[in-house]
Amino acid sequence: MANVAPTARPDRSAIVPGRLPAVPAPRRLLGKLSLTWLPVAPFFLYVTIFMLLPSLSIVQGAFSKSTGSGYTLDHVRTLFDPQYRDAFWTSIKLSVATALTGGIFGLFVAYAAVKEGAPRWIRSALITFSGVAANFAGVPLAFAFIATIGTTGVITSFLSSYGIDIYSNGFTLYSFTGLTIVYTYFQLPLMILIISPSIDGLRSQWREAAENLGANTFQYWRMVGLPILWPSLLSAMVLLFGSAFSAYATAYALIGSGSVNLVPIIIGAVMSGNITIDPNLGDALALGMIVIIGFTVAIYALLQRRASRWLR
Amino acid sequence: MRDRNRQISRRQLLQMGAAGGLGLAGLGAFPGLLETPEALADSGRISKSLIDAAQKEGAINLIALPPDWADYGEIIRIFQTKYRLGISNANPDGTSAEENQAIQTLKGQDREPDAVDVSGSAAQAGKAAGLYQPYKVSTWNTIPAALKDSQGYYYGDYWGAMSFLSLNHVVKQAPKDWSDLLSPKLRGMVAIDGKPYSAGDGFGAVMAASLANGGSLDNIEPGINFFVKLKKAGNFNPADAYTATILKGATPIAIKWDYLNLAVRDQGAAQGQKITVNIPKHGVYGGPYYQAISAYAPHPNAAKLWMEFLYSDQGQLLWLKGYTHPARYLDLAKRKKIPAKLAKKLPPASAYKNVKFATLAQIAKANAILQEQWDAKMG
Amino acid sequence: MRARRLGFWQVFWLVAGALFFLVPLYGTAEYSLETGPGQYGFKHYLTILQDPAFKASFLYSLKIALATVAIGIVLMVPTVYWVNLRLPRLRKVIDFLAVLPFVVPPVALVVGINRLFTSQPVLILGQPQRVSFWLVSGPQILVMAYVILALPFTYRSLDAGMRAIDLHTLTEAAQSVGASWTRVLLSVILPNIRYAMLSAAFLTITLVMGEYTMSSLLLFNTFAVYVEYTGEAKANPAAALAIISFALTWAAMLGILFLGRGVGRRQGQLTGTR
Repeated sequence: MANVAPTARPDRSAIVPGRLPAVPAPRRLLGKLSLTWLPVAPFFLYVTIFMLLPSLSIVQGAFSKSTGSGYTLDHVRTLFDPQYRDAFWTSIKLSVATALTGGIFGLFVAYAAVKEGAPRWIRSALITFSGVAANFAGVPLAFAFIATIGTTGVITSFLSSYGIDIYSNGFTLYSFTGLTIVYTYFQLPLMILIISPSIDGLRSQWREAAENLGANTFQYWRMVGLPILWPSLLSAMVLLFGSAFSAYATAYALIGSGSVNLVPIIIGAVMSGNITIDPNLGDALALGMIVIIGFTVAIYALLQRRASRWLR
Repeated sequence: MRDRNRQISRRQLLQMGAAGGLGLAGLGAFPGLLETPEALADSGRISKSLIDAAQKEGAINLIALPPDWADYGEIIRIFQTKYRLGISNANPDGTSAEENQAIQTLKGQDREPDAVDVSGSAAQAGKAAGLYQPYKVSTWNTIPAALKDSQGYYYGDYWGAMSFLSLNHVVKQAPKDWSDLLSPKLRGMVAIDGKPYSAGDGFGAVMAASLANGGSLDNIEPGINFFVKLKKAGNFNPADAYTATILKGATPIAIKWDYLNLAVRDQGAAQGQKITVNIPKHGVYGGPYYQAISAYAPHPNAAKLWMEFLYSDQGQLLWLKGYTHPARYLDLAKRKKIPAKLAKKLPPASAYKNVKFATLAQIAKANAILQEQWDAKMG
Repeated sequence: MRARRLGFWQVFWLVAGALFFLVPLYGTAEYSLETGPGQYGFKHYLTILQDPAFKASFLYSLKIALATVAIGIVLMVPTVYWVNLRLPRLRKVIDFLAVLPFVVPPVALVVGINRLFTSQPVLILGQPQRVSFWLVSGPQILVMAYVILALPFTYRSLDAGMRAIDLHTLTEAAQSVGASWTRVLLSVILPNIRYAMLSAAFLTITLVMGEYTMSSLLLFNTFAVYVEYTGEAKANPAAALAIISFALTWAAMLGILFLGRGVGRRQGQLTGTR
């Protein structure tokens, strides 16, 4: 390689073009395409075949006529029928609820661990445990909660030995409330993992400075902490929303054939043949999920851009 | 001595039950049941050429056969050792609808199920969708006419009746009839297994409830309304009742087939948990399941061998061991092939004397109503 | 001035978090050890470990996981390398593509995959039909789909790893002594992102071992499907299985930590960051 220009140590956060060593001019293939794109071609091909094409096929199916050819809005319109509208609404409610429970609970726990004064090991332990717990879902999780607050669970028995019967007021694990509690078990660690770097960004000098100027905890949060943190907070909760909305295994393990009306459960039942509806309607349901989550991820991206301002 | 008397009286009672329920195709079928020509009362001799052909295929794909369902665990094990065929058992707790769906989804692939064991409505749907191929086992003629498709697309393998299971340490007084289930002491305890329009087990619960609450085999709505009442009383538990949830006390009262509940009772006993199983006083609904060979079976000879095994005396008695009433029960009893010990383990025949079986047409009609109403009313 | 004592609320929230995490685990563990009224033992663990289906499904899933890791790494390492080295403008595009698997949840993706590869041929020509058919006739399709599901984690891990080292200097240095591109990649870059690759591998393996949605709907008997079935069929062994799978995930995490300590903090990447 001739003419290797001496380069300064590159900035870690950006690669500066123009410092690249001179290379022979890339051959031009088919006009615009050049050989530089070749190494990344397999990636794009793969993503196209196994992610984009299936997604497009869902979109196509959702708008296709069930019999014969041509397109129609019928399936999408059916999504607004009571039982599907209700399923979407319940899924959304559940996702918002667990985004809030996991989000707020997670914020407090993460802050308690990251804030100075906490021994270093607490943070490591918390992060490690969160990494494991965030993946704990499906049947093991459902069972863990049956063993905890089910009719003969440890907490249920513990409380009833003090005369408190949580079931007498109609509480049951197989309900919206129950699902919220169980989902929180993986939403909480997810929040902790996501928000910890942002809390790190909340420099302790700012807190000290604020206190030196006479601010108490409440004022600190209102005027310094939250304004800085809220984009990260919101974007984290948006991610939590997506995580709950897509969850299938845990919901299936807990409510089986669907005592709570959720969209993933319906899609699963359609695919396994337990519900016979128009397969194109199944596509429409899947499309509905994609649209809703796509919307939330777009919000997430916007918020991330805002949040990153403070994390430099 | 006592045993012999019991056997005879049970056989008579079962014949009465069979006459009342199974004789749907008209009483003409009934004489046919009694007068099985000896020549055709095959104890299930399986031809060597079939065994060879099956072994050449080397394996069989089964689906949705939980080991503790009608003693399938042992049946599969014995079949495997006896004929040295590899067995894959996909989706062990799949519903009948899922079994049919698997045949369609996996069409043409090696993984496709060779044989299915499905509920009545799924059997009909499967035949209509062209999912099965006809086959008549060597013991075909000893299967009651009402329990098989005349063209041989599907054939009843065993039946059971809807029963109540209750976990003794949670439920002090075991429910003996449907009205008992509405007691305020049973908050959140009563569960069924699966959605009634896709799982035969769940379907049976609603149909039985209907029979006990003013409905009939032609009208399943009172059954749906009973469950709505149960839900309003706060006693209905929407979770599916499985062995694990029952033993853990999450679904301490389960309305399922008697053979399933009896198997759970045995499992519970092994763990020191006492369980009571009762056939309800009213609304005794009997439901057969049906075997069928997949139309595109990757191992058709192995599938046929499987059928021959299941419908041989040995296979049928294994199902009896699993607490079901196998399809050829009457034939076996007549030829005195049922060991007394086994006969004793089943609930008394008197409990089954009013058992009712629905025709496939009635099941299809009820299923349609369930598809319309169940989700809407039960939420 | 820095060493402040733990505030009351700090302790409160930490204890609350700990309780919320640990009590359900305790409940499961207690139930898994219950062999009879008032008796405890390891019988249920033995039941699980001796169950042939446990071993079969575990190995089956592990094979799928390793295949996913292999394909993921072969696919992503050159891509991430090239983007960091030559095509910085592509970063935004790839970032976007790497987030897409979150937008198309497995339960929706499987609908598309099923219909695309079973009923409709990928292309109308003869050969590709057979390929698409072959894809769904075995766990191959799961591997392909899992690479996509793991994409966000694989990409982030590898990207962080590559950004932490001095790609340009390494490449130039290697090329200045005459190494070809493949040589550069294999002998120079790979050893330096060892930790990132292992982290990506671990994350992928945990993801695959726990994936239930796609494997159950495409009718494969993976480990997660086995866990689900046990959870419905056998009560106490299911609890034992829950504890076993939890312990295995723990081991994977500790593996990452342990390796991380050896390699150094620069490439610290404990989990897939978002």
